[in-house]
Amino acid sequence: MRLRCALAILAAIALTGGCNRGGPETTGKPRIAFVLKTLNSPFFIEMQRGAEEAAKRLDVDLVVQAAEREIDVEKQMQIIENLIQARVSALAVTPSGSREVVPAVGKANEANIPVVIVDTRLDENAASQAGVKTVSFVGSDNFRGGLLIGEYLERASRGNARVVILEGIPGHETGDSRVRGFREAIKDSPGIRIIASQPANWERDQGFTVFQNMLQANPDLDTVFACNDMMALGAIEAIAAAGKTGKIRVLGFDAVDDARKAIVAGTMEATVAQFPSEMGRIAVETALKAMKGEAVPADVTVRIGLITRENVSE
Amino acid sequence: MMPADVADDRRAATSTQPRARIASSARRLGTLAGLLGLCLLLWILTPHFLTTSNLLNVLEQTAINAIIAVGMTFVIISGGIDLSVGSLVALAGVVLATLLHGGTPVLVAIAAAIAAGALFGSFNGMAITWGRLPPFIATLGMMSVARGCALLFTDGRPVSGFEGGFRAIATARIAGIPAPVFLTAAVYLIAQFVLTETRFGRYVYAIGGNEEATRLSGVSVRLHKTAVYAVSGATSALAAVLLTARLNSAQPIAGIMYELDAIAAVVIGGTSLMGGEGTLSGTLIGALIMGVLRNGLNLLGVSSFMQQVVIGLVIVGAVLIDTLLKARKS
Repeated sequence: MRLRCALAILAAIALTGGCNRGGPETTGKPRIAFVLKTLNSPFFIEMQRGAEEAAKRLDVDLVVQAAEREIDVEKQMQIIENLIQARVSALAVTPSGSREVVPAVGKANEANIPVVIVDTRLDENAASQAGVKTVSFVGSDNFRGGLLIGEYLERASRGNARVVILEGIPGHETGDSRVRGFREAIKDSPGIRIIASQPANWERDQGFTVFQNMLQANPDLDTVFACNDMMALGAIEAIAAAGKTGKIRVLGFDAVDDARKAIVAGTMEATVAQFPSEMGRIAVETALKAMKGEAVPADVTVRIGLITRENVSE
Repeated sequence: MMPADVADDRRAATSTQPRARIASSARRLGTLAGLLGLCLLLWILTPHFLTTSNLLNVLEQTAINAIIAVGMTFVIISGGIDLSVGSLVALAGVVLATLLHGGTPVLVAIAAAIAAGALFGSFNGMAITWGRLPPFIATLGMMSVARGCALLFTDGRPVSGFEGGFRAIATARIAGIPAPVFLTAAVYLIAQFVLTETRFGRYVYAIGGNEEATRLSGVSVRLHKTAVYAVSGATSALAAVLLTARLNSAQPIAGIMYELDAIAAVVIGGTSLMGGEGTLSGTLIGALIMGVLRNGLNLLGVSSFMQQVVIGLVIVGAVLIDTLLKARKS
């Protein structure tokens, strides 16, 4: 009985699934896989768009995959292992963990599949110890981005601010570089003081709660620098809830649509524009070249820019 | 209480077992048929599924969830639930990693991590038995406490980079088969023996079937229930060993929502959330179904969002078939 039930269900799945057969695997086009950290964030959706446009133009089959949760690097490793099994021609990966993804890259090396790292660098020590190789890194210079925001704060505050920082996931190279750049920019301004710095794991709701707690502990803070816009947007809501809109300067990173809107509305002051769709495009182009055995640059820096009220609508 | 009563009660507790056993073996065959059907389907849909390297890949990937699900099976058969396993994975992982970095010998560090998992698990059990908290609440609390401890312990940062000897737990191959597969097999064999051949195992079923009757027949329910949660903590810690070796890193944020994958494996495997019935073989098949499904959906290049829909439907579908069959029988 049960057996028949189960078989009937499977047959039904087979019929519906069967319609998709003859897709990617039978076309003979080069097949490139793009493993993103997540597909729940506008930044990575933009990256996906850029990658898909490039794939269409270059006549490449593109498979985009992401784990259910951005921080679940073990699931990301599973996805990479599975794509290796599916014999993709090249892999582009945005690592969910700079060190933790290294073993998975090692497995791609063993299978002779070229790997392009996008957005977040591999940890250099971990990579060299494990002897893993990547053909290229495509991403923004996050340190320079942090520098831009820090320099902006110096100008805007005339060297006088009490700052809290919302960090990304601890140990993430991306967030760490942004914070380092920011600190570097303000290090010669004694009037700018960092009074608290805590991780909110890149997430909007955590940005809200962590910032709310910071505000409780430091009622006189006047500036928040969030290492990405999602956390900044969370902080903006917490500021509104505390009735302090307009009294606290909010600085973000990424220039996602909602952040641009917030800048227009005056609830956010500045953010750093990255160009994720360009990253996606370059990642696919680089992966294709690497797959064909052409030389590719080891490092491709994608442009960044400071976004404020003056240039937000450009 | 008189010894004769004890014997009577035990007979009463076990008299329903033959029929339950037949039903559960039918159930297991159904789940197995589901797994085989799924494999058949993937074999038709993609040439990359039924290859030796991919099947070993799936087994290797399933190991972590399958091992956590062993402890979860004990807990659920005893009529409880353990939401803290994911956090215990993180906690045991950072304990292990910190000890390894401090130069502790590998086996000692592993033993200490498993002891830490069992200890925190037994705190769950004590809160549930002596504290009379519902398992949901006690383990929900532990989920947060253990996570917090892992973050405090490491200051929120991952602890990474270990020597090859330790990493071999995840990376070694014996006769071409990945080491985690052997580890999983060993855990299931031992757990199966404990659950079916020892007094403790029978008490786990009895407590889940009728806790009051078990208590009245002179069994220390508190002690055995506490032990059940300690087992769950220990298997979570063992999974943490594997995870840490696999990623060459222990993250305090590791294992988030692993409890849901483990619970899913257990219920797909036919263990009743009401307690009192269930098998480890079912759980193993359940974990494999989850692993094969994820693998297959990746191989097919199915969109990540659609994958979540499919996995959810399979979990609900498996349990739905179960309840429908039960309703028809009664």
